[in-house]
Amino acid sequence: MKPGLPLVILATLAICAAPCTARAAGAEVPTPTLANVGGTTVVQQSDSAASLAGIALVVRAGLDRETMKQNGVAALVAQTILLTPVGSPAMSLQDAIAARGGSVRFTIDPSDVRFYIEALAGDAPAVLDLFRTALAAPDFSPATIRTARAALVRQIAQSQQQALQVGLDMLNAAGSSQANAGLPELGTPASLAQIFSNDARAFYHAYYRRGGSLISAAGRLDGLGADTLSSLAAALPEGTTAPVAVHTPLLSGATHEIVAHRDISSPWLIAQYPAPKVDSEDFGPMLVLAAFVRRTLSDIAQVPGVVTPTFASRSVGAVYAYDRAPPSLVLYVNGGLIGNPSRAFATALSVVNVLAATRLQGSIEEFKAEAAGDFANDATTLETRTWLAAVFSRESASPDFINRALAAISTTTPDDVQRVARKYLGNPTIALVLPRGTNLQD
Amino acid sequence: MNARAAVLAATFAVTVVGLCRTPAPAAMPQAIGSLPRGGSYVLDPDPTVGSAAIGLWFRAPAAGFDNATPGISNLAATAAAVAPLASGKSLYALIHSLGGELNIEVYPDIVGIAAVVPAAAARRVIAGMTGAYFAPTLDDTAVKTARANAAVLGVQQRYESDATLHDLLFKQIFAGGPAHYPPLPDSVAQLTSISTAQAGAYAKRAFRAENAVLTLAGNVDASSVSAVTDGGGNGSMDTPYDSPLAKSPASATMTGSIDGVGLGWVGPPIADQKAATALDFIADYLFRDRTGVVPRTLDKSSSDTLLSGQFITLHDPGVMVVTIGGDEEKATEQRVLAALDALQQPLDRATFEAAREAFLYHVATDTQTPQERADNLGWYTVEGNLQYAPGLANGSYEQAVRALDPQYVADVVRRYLRNPVVVNLTATSSDKESP
Repeated sequence: MKPGLPLVILATLAICAAPCTARAAGAEVPTPTLANVGGTTVVQQSDSAASLAGIALVVRAGLDRETMKQNGVAALVAQTILLTPVGSPAMSLQDAIAARGGSVRFTIDPSDVRFYIEALAGDAPAVLDLFRTALAAPDFSPATIRTARAALVRQIAQSQQQALQVGLDMLNAAGSSQANAGLPELGTPASLAQIFSNDARAFYHAYYRRGGSLISAAGRLDGLGADTLSSLAAALPEGTTAPVAVHTPLLSGATHEIVAHRDISSPWLIAQYPAPKVDSEDFGPMLVLAAFVRRTLSDIAQVPGVVTPTFASRSVGAVYAYDRAPPSLVLYVNGGLIGNPSRAFATALSVVNVLAATRLQGSIEEFKAEAAGDFANDATTLETRTWLAAVFSRESASPDFINRALAAISTTTPDDVQRVARKYLGNPTIALVLPRGTNLQD
Repeated sequence: MNARAAVLAATFAVTVVGLCRTPAPAAMPQAIGSLPRGGSYVLDPDPTVGSAAIGLWFRAPAAGFDNATPGISNLAATAAAVAPLASGKSLYALIHSLGGELNIEVYPDIVGIAAVVPAAAARRVIAGMTGAYFAPTLDDTAVKTARANAAVLGVQQRYESDATLHDLLFKQIFAGGPAHYPPLPDSVAQLTSISTAQAGAYAKRAFRAENAVLTLAGNVDASSVSAVTDGGGNGSMDTPYDSPLAKSPASATMTGSIDGVGLGWVGPPIADQKAATALDFIADYLFRDRTGVVPRTLDKSSSDTLLSGQFITLHDPGVMVVTIGGDEEKATEQRVLAALDALQQPLDRATFEAAREAFLYHVATDTQTPQERADNLGWYTVEGNLQYAPGLANGSYEQAVRALDPQYVADVVRRYLRNPVVVNLTATSSDKESP
């Protein structure tokens, strides 16, 4: 007989009653070095055995520098830099870097724009030189702006087909205390259509400043000169900038639900809770809690996939987005692959509620091991490592993300988990992304 | 995992296991040696990451040693992972309890067992993995679990154009041998027809220590090799399980659960490093997602065309496979053929050199994680040419890439990439309505 709801909850809470002896902490990893060069923070994780060098440049020119009417200008400027002609024969920065054996891309965050450049170690100096050239003097001609806008519109169209991204965008918009920081990262086709060369140029000149910038590099860095990294930021004029203050009242009321319809085949249910930053004493417990919630959601949904991960086993999940401001814990269910998504989702939310009131029975060592494994195994690409070092450098006293996270997990107790559940998991905001032509009753 | 990674994982739901092994030209202080109780190991350490990847690779025919039991390697490999070890806990449970993940990779001629774990757990997993495979004890419960796993994967695969078309192309190209049969059986009846005794006997023969290479990458060192717990053979690795080619491989039209088009060409063996490397380069230049000549002509904002093209490096022979799913299959097929036709003429020097440098970068960036490197070393070892795996210091892969020139690449296109075997897959109307 299939157990009913209360039994499911109790069974889940006691899921690791047997003593577990797994040691969560990993072997010690070398700590990234940290320096301040002319006002720019430079973090390095050198690995002489790597074949690649990865460099992230973070500039305070993200969403919170946009006005509400300018949504998309941060992305448009970044895309314009990627399309700026460089080298001889001249070609766009992204094509020139690809031809030299590398890649460049950008991400717009609530307060930053982050460029990530990666290249074969021997090509890295030349690739960074190309990037520096474009960064110092982007081509804001109408033709390049048009091409950049078209590229962004294509990316937006693609992301609108990803239901989880649509839901996260809505939840981020609802959860941001700064209204502009919660706007869509790339803007919208409508907002981009209202932004022209002069707007992009003005944004660049106002916010692409050296102050507050950060460079995080990893991989084989011994081929780069002493000044090569810091010279990236030196391509920008001195000065600091401040966010554009745009306050809107947060949602009030006991329950928050946001609904959107998109051209998708099945509904998605997403819940978002506030979560601690990486410098909080609650960071480690929240990582463990996220592992517990992830396992619980999978158990409740009874996702098939005995040994090998399947579509279905990846259709539910929990993500602790500690690298975004404000941080959050997100639960999601893809309704197309679960027999009764509403029930699975509601049960998961009930379990989360129960967690705040009920101490976990038995050992939490298995969840600690899972949390440690998730963190360590997800932090293996150069791009992830540069970004995590940047996040920890910004948000805490040390860029040593891996050892600090594993230590925080290792010292977590069941009482910590309950305390954190009670503190953060009270009142979620829920996003429902539905196929067009359906409604909530469906 | 950060939110963006979660979106990608949830959207593109299943980890894609690369069939084309194109390793990174890393300058690692690697080590190669013999295991204490039979078999060999390859070590590729990287102390700057927090995880370790552990792989165990075998030469093992997917359809059995007599090619009469398709799916038996899948069943045996999975059952060995879920059967209880001496501790009472299975390898699968052990790895998960230590915060790791286990992947079982079954191909027509080889089997790879791959785990990625926090570094501190590496020794325990090496001990558990070698115990589970070098001294397998499969029982009915383990085989039943393995059947259930295979059944779930089988249903899933019906809706994956890439894997389905790959198997159908191999069926047309190879007249017999393990490559003629899908590694995952077509039907539940095939699964249930394999008994526990058959799976157990297969496991004992295929998963011998002397038929294995242990690959270690990431935050792990040579002392970990002493954690190997079982094995006792004095023999050597089996000879490669090659498959005979069809004399006149025919194109075919088949029905299934999805629409798609597959194109296949027989290529060189792994021993012909120069030609194999040229085909890797061609696949990267023409078909790589986002940067390839053909994908760049596809507007992904208005089309859900799924294009995959890769040269699969095998002992003898390798196979170039292009699969097209989603929509606009026939139009995309014409673009693929036109691109290959154009490449029969040498690229101009500047275009070629840019493409070659980009290829070297793609190889490096695709194989930068411990798991990718461990898989890579395992694949090349059991396919018969570890020295060709560029992950090895002083390996020959990067040299082979740098030795390519436009004329030779055009020659390879003319020699190998004309007259493809084509499989047209058409979904039945009832399947089209399924998820």
